[in-house]
Amino acid sequence: MTGEEKRALKYGMAFISPWIVGFASFLLLPMVLSLYYSFCDYSVLNPPAFLGGQNYQELVHDEVFWVSLYNTFYFALFALPLGTLTALFLALLLNSNIRFLGFFRTVFFLPSLVPLVALAILWQDILHTEYGIVNELLGVIGLGPFDWLGDPALAKPGLVLTTMWIVGNPVVIYLAGLQDVPRALYEAARIDGATKMQETAYITLPMISPVIYFNLIMGCIGVLQIFALPYVMTGGGPARSTLFYSMYLFDQAFAYLNMGYACAMAWILFGMIAVLTYSAHLLTNRFVVYGGS
Amino acid sequence: MIPPLGESPAVTLSKRFLLYLTLGLLSILFMLPFVWMIKTSLMTAQQATTAPPEWIPHPFRFDNYVVATKAIPFWLYTRNTLYVAIMNVIGMTLASAFIAWGFAHYRFPGRDKFFAITLATMMVPFPVLMVSQYAIFRDLGWIGTYKPLWVPAFFGHAYNIFLLRQFLLGVPRDLTDVARIDGCGELRIFLQIIIPLIRPALLVVALFSFMYHWNDFMAPLIYLTDEKQFTLALGLQSFQSRLGETAITHLMAATTLMVAPVIALFFLTQKTFIEGISLTGLKG
Amino acid sequence: MKDYTPYIIVAILILGISALFIPRDLDDMTDDGRVKIRYWEKWTGFEKDAMEAIVDKYNASQDKVYVEFISTSQIDRKLLLATAGGNPPDIAGFWSHAMVSYAEKGVLYPLDSLMERDGLSRDDYVPSIINTCVYRDFVWGLPATPATVALHYNKDSFREAGLDPEKPPTTIEEFDRYARLMTKVGEDGNYTHMGFVPNDPGWWDQFWGVWFGAKLLSDDGKELLCNSPENVRAFEWYRSYVTNYDSEKVRFFSSAHRGQFASSSNSFMSGRVAMKQQGVWMANFIEKFGDGMDWAAAPFPSASYVTGGPATIVETDMLVIPRGSRHVEEAWDFIKFVQKQENIEELCLLQKKFSPRKEVSEGFYEKHPNPYIRMFRALAESPNAQAVPKTPVWIEYRDELGVAQERLWVTPPDKLSVKDALDRVKERMQPKLDLMNERWEAIGQQRLEEWSNL
Repeated sequence: MTGEEKRALKYGMAFISPWIVGFASFLLLPMVLSLYYSFCDYSVLNPPAFLGGQNYQELVHDEVFWVSLYNTFYFALFALPLGTLTALFLALLLNSNIRFLGFFRTVFFLPSLVPLVALAILWQDILHTEYGIVNELLGVIGLGPFDWLGDPALAKPGLVLTTMWIVGNPVVIYLAGLQDVPRALYEAARIDGATKMQETAYITLPMISPVIYFNLIMGCIGVLQIFALPYVMTGGGPARSTLFYSMYLFDQAFAYLNMGYACAMAWILFGMIAVLTYSAHLLTNRFVVYGGS
Repeated sequence: MIPPLGESPAVTLSKRFLLYLTLGLLSILFMLPFVWMIKTSLMTAQQATTAPPEWIPHPFRFDNYVVATKAIPFWLYTRNTLYVAIMNVIGMTLASAFIAWGFAHYRFPGRDKFFAITLATMMVPFPVLMVSQYAIFRDLGWIGTYKPLWVPAFFGHAYNIFLLRQFLLGVPRDLTDVARIDGCGELRIFLQIIIPLIRPALLVVALFSFMYHWNDFMAPLIYLTDEKQFTLALGLQSFQSRLGETAITHLMAATTLMVAPVIALFFLTQKTFIEGISLTGLKG
Repeated sequence: MKDYTPYIIVAILILGISALFIPRDLDDMTDDGRVKIRYWEKWTGFEKDAMEAIVDKYNASQDKVYVEFISTSQIDRKLLLATAGGNPPDIAGFWSHAMVSYAEKGVLYPLDSLMERDGLSRDDYVPSIINTCVYRDFVWGLPATPATVALHYNKDSFREAGLDPEKPPTTIEEFDRYARLMTKVGEDGNYTHMGFVPNDPGWWDQFWGVWFGAKLLSDDGKELLCNSPENVRAFEWYRSYVTNYDSEKVRFFSSAHRGQFASSSNSFMSGRVAMKQQGVWMANFIEKFGDGMDWAAAPFPSASYVTGGPATIVETDMLVIPRGSRHVEEAWDFIKFVQKQENIEELCLLQKKFSPRKEVSEGFYEKHPNPYIRMFRALAESPNAQAVPKTPVWIEYRDELGVAQERLWVTPPDKLSVKDALDRVKERMQPKLDLMNERWEAIGQQRLEEWSNL
């Protein structure tokens, strides 16, 4: 090793040393421990007792585990595409060379600043069966009234509806992406006589597909962790219709003190996220156009 | 932005009218929940729960806010939240910049592999770690203190390290080389030359870290046990969960009080904010 | 010039990390040298004010201990987390329904040796009440205030329906008939008023079996009886309030009018629901929000085949000492203070409940603001007064029953029978109970010894 390399190693390691400590103590150690606990009966109050794979076996037969998985995927299946479409639609509208762009962007963005706990409380009231504004608006076009948070069939749609209000982040991101699309492409298309619709379909969307893709993956990972909103808004009910994966994990860990069981759930969650990320990565290589070059 | 080309003025006009109409209606729709929140916070409990809903409070009950600030207790919780958020801002900006410089500037063996691992940690969600982290913090005697909420920030976070590294890669090496020839120490180079250079990016990290901890619910829920230590998010939820004791109007007043500072912060830092979000979403 | 950067960094890191291990400031002394103990209490509102008055009285009565009163919502979960985290309060005011699970998990401190030493006896209390504090023959907490539930009804609604307001229903069958008579339909076909809605407020939905002679747990604690014929009957009855009415509209009515308990929009106080199962505390809320409504309370009627006296649920707000408290003696001193006849009666008067002690001072009932207080106390002494089943799986069992209830409420009978719903609860919970029992077989003796020596 040359002196220069030694120096780089010395300083480099010094600068990243906080991260090494943090990585080891707040990530690596918890992961190793959590893997170990997932094979144990562990309540925190007593030392862990080794069980082998029993937690995982029980999980497979745990009806509520499957219910929470089903709820989570159901939610993801509706909330993500709908959210993406809403955000894209708004971003496309804002990208039409309009006046007061800053004003409209602020309007659509503001809701996503509302803290989740506040959001949950506010929407509980907005979705109220009797005097909530959603039922009032739907009543105008002759629908409802719906018992949004009281009916197991409607509670998840109620939550999906709530998340439609907080698409501000993706709107800003898509808008930035849209504005990065090189103008030359549109000019060329216009010379060829393309309509607005064709432009959107053949230029705009392909060009921002990496952005959409990235946001979809992040969205998926986000949905697998969804907690605060349903915890405050419905507490998982009625009849477990809004019990999501992270909530069940939380209950197992901190309401029933089945920490080992909760760790097994955590590792399954981790596995799902790993698979999701990897498969999304494979998919993009086939479908997503990386623009610019 | 694309100039409207090759369309007749009449078509353009009607199209643009339609566009503004859509935008206007959607804007109203998006603002409605805020109006709802504020009007409910100013009503009597009776009026807030009548069907069909009423929009103009009669009488205006500003008193709801006084009741809410006492019931939560709002100022204590604001102080607690600020403490947690500010500790995180300090820790996160300093540590992430520091670490990012290490990854960006010094070429040492194993660096890129470790950086790849660092990036991979972004995929590990909090629920995966929370149980064993709880056990670790318990052994440290940290449950019921603020430490689990801010100490980890002083060790950086993969995402922020990544973000700042992107900026630092753009710093020309000549700059640091010249400084070194002038006899500057590495720490001084970092503090006096590098930090000022990436101030806008640090601002983004600080802002988002603040927002995250102002809003965070799950970690405080696990680690804070004493009601006197609560953060606003936790206090609001606790206020809501008092079995049927809480009037919706007081709850909405408290909610408004929690939302207002965030909105204010947004208007004060709008540029950084929007840039920050565009930045976070564009690169994979 | 030599560059010290790496050394400085390492030094800062080491300093930083070691600083974190300095013990927390425990803050368990007041400025004037009294031991400060932390007391978490679940109450808010007038019940909290009442307990605070007793705490103030205690703090003024001596100069060794200072009790810091902290109002804490969702106390079950927080107490569990704080105790598991090794940083519990010294006293907690907590519900008897979570006691068994927590005692078995090692969250609570048994009080027997302290009671014996200081001459407190289980015999001082009404048996059904002290019973809610006992598990495996250990006392895990002592009552702050007890409660029973009874039928509350709106006399004006009775009159409007042509019923005699002085004659509350005495059997479930009669009750159902009255409920039907007091239900009104508006012009749009929706219910405007209902005689009774069983899931409002939904605080004891799992317990309707009590009025049908059912039990949720076998006497030896080994078997869950949620699908026993009596329980099936009780849940059928519960569901009959959807199926015997216009189902959609009952559900809607119940969703629209539930909640907002402590307000004038409360379904009972606003006159929308004529009859309610409620606790001894209800009188106080009616006084506050009922706008002078004309009401009465009576034992909730049982099914006609139930004999032996009126049925009720007994619940106790109890004071416990969490395991890991650093001031057990001081905490116990406060609990002892509250248990004195004079003090507990003062607390019960302020909270408008009845005394848990067998002995009641002269004039207690006369001073009491609730006109039905003797009836509530008599209910606690009825042979059909039931407490929360004493099983360590209760919290999960209760949640599971709650889910069954919600499913029954929204699913038509041809899609889900009561028996099936309750069978499913048993299928899910019985193995968990068996596991607990097996574990107890293995470690029970050891635990019992450990508890006796604490």
